[in-house]
Amino acid sequence: MKKVLLVDDDVEFCEATKLLLESKGYDVILAYDGKEGLEKVRAEKPDLVILDVMMPEMNGYDVCVVLKADMELKKTPVILLTAVDQALFKTTYTKVMGCMTEADDYIAKPVEPEELLKRMKDLPSKD
Amino acid sequence: MKKCRELLIGEGHRVRAAESVEEALDIIQKHPGDVEIMLLSLELPGWGGMTLIKTLQKARREILIMTISANCGEEAMEAMHAGAYDCIRKSFTTDRFWTKMNRAIEAFRLRRQLDILTRQRQAALTHVRRDENLLSILQSFTDAFVVTDWQTNIVLFNEKAASMFDLTREKALGRSISVCIRSDELLSFFVRAMKSDSTLASLMVGEEPVVQVGGKDLRVHVDPVKNEAGTVIGAAGLFHDVSTASAMDRLKSDFFSMVSHELKSPLSSLLMQISVVLDGLAGDLTSKQSDLLGKAKEKTKGMITLVNDILDYRRIQEGKSIQNIENLDLAEILKRTVELMRLSAEEKGLSLTCEIAEGLPSFSGDRGGMEAVFVNLISNSIRGNVNMSLSKAGRDIRFKVVDNGIGIPPEGIDRVFEKFYRIKTQETKSISGSGLGLSIVKGIVDAHNGSIHAESQAGKGATFTVSLPVGE
Repeated sequence: MKKVLLVDDDVEFCEATKLLLESKGYDVILAYDGKEGLEKVRAEKPDLVILDVMMPEMNGYDVCVVLKADMELKKTPVILLTAVDQALFKTTYTKVMGCMTEADDYIAKPVEPEELLKRMKDLPSKD
Repeated sequence: MKKCRELLIGEGHRVRAAESVEEALDIIQKHPGDVEIMLLSLELPGWGGMTLIKTLQKARREILIMTISANCGEEAMEAMHAGAYDCIRKSFTTDRFWTKMNRAIEAFRLRRQLDILTRQRQAALTHVRRDENLLSILQSFTDAFVVTDWQTNIVLFNEKAASMFDLTREKALGRSISVCIRSDELLSFFVRAMKSDSTLASLMVGEEPVVQVGGKDLRVHVDPVKNEAGTVIGAAGLFHDVSTASAMDRLKSDFFSMVSHELKSPLSSLLMQISVVLDGLAGDLTSKQSDLLGKAKEKTKGMITLVNDILDYRRIQEGKSIQNIENLDLAEILKRTVELMRLSAEEKGLSLTCEIAEGLPSFSGDRGGMEAVFVNLISNSIRGNVNMSLSKAGRDIRFKVVDNGIGIPPEGIDRVFEKFYRIKTQETKSISGSGLGLSIVKGIVDAHNGSIHAESQAGKGATFTVSLPVGE
């Protein structure tokens, strides 16, 4: 069973997404800010991290940068999930920041459940 | 020389004679303005003639110099380089003498005429400074005001300009605007304004550029100043400080991205929660509950579209819809967009067909922008079966969307591209939307130098045609 860490400061979003992912057979861990997220990546070694961008304590970009600089964790696929910009007009800001953090994918909020599941499946696996 | 003198006096000219450089200078100094043309022998001892020419040039004496030499050779050329007008051979014939002299007299008159005109031009603007009433009117302007003569030297400015550009009467008056206000951009506006007959100036009509000078954003308007005869004698510039407005603009922009995040985050959360409950992941639902939640989900999506539309619209207004120009394969983008939209068409039991011509040239444009054009036009048409085509038409790539939906009533056809315009009929009551989609499309198409138009017969569907120019 794949272990997914979802980091988002919106509690309801986390709860609902957890239900969705669990129904598809994922093992889901939640964290509600960047710092907690980073701690849980280190402790739980998930197979996939879904990161919100705008969060208290530490934003998603920074978490991603730290994670990708860690030899042990850098192979963990990361999806950045953000409402900072929208789907159709991806700004260079978001896109470039996403690339600079070496995130493996970038999804604009709001995301349809089917879309999220599809993008998760398309990611390369950790190993 | 003697012969010259005789000829000139014979024609009624007044002649003074000097035997040396010193004597010549003496005459010129004693009778300023009296000497108009000087006949100068280049055979004065010790290059005396050249010295005289150079001295007179330096003193900016308006005397036309004709040299006389044996063969009008090298020395004569040198004299002409130094400022002499022409050379007469020492062994001249009467005819030859008059040909050259008449030309010299004509040239002198022209020069003087030009000089008078130049002085008039300057005087016309400098005397404005002495008009008290006019000055106090100018001082009352809240905008900065600077007038230059036709050589872009400052002749007048008001208090506001003094504080805006740090000008003082001593430092600024009579000096070039390029020295007093260090901005090449600003200088170029003054120069362009005075070339009012050229095409350059016509480009300026109706244009009020904002220029950054010394950390301030200034809206600049420069007009030529003409005298009664219609000759351009200078330029007047009006500067409106829009720094605050610019700051407001940036603030507004920040506000929009804040709103974007603050609205989209909770909407995203709502959408996820509703979807999960609707899928039965939080327990079984009655059909009534499913029905209500399904509608709630649609409304939520509608709100998301609205927020996105507002942001798209804002971006177009800020001119950011063509930020990343790259060579695009429109066929590929259209195919992908159609695939994305197919689901929502099928949900409504409608068909979506697409004909794409082979070997279309690439189009240089903004990818996000083009996606938005396709998405908005297609979703606008999915009220009936949709038939699309992408083809080459002359120098354009043409995208055509035809639907057999409810169409557009005649009174609406000219207004469909207006922002927030929505057709209000019984049939459209149930359709949600921001009324921004088509104005977004038009904004993006315009930014790509393309064109769009709509045709429709009410009740029989509508056709939208977009033409995008492909560089040859």
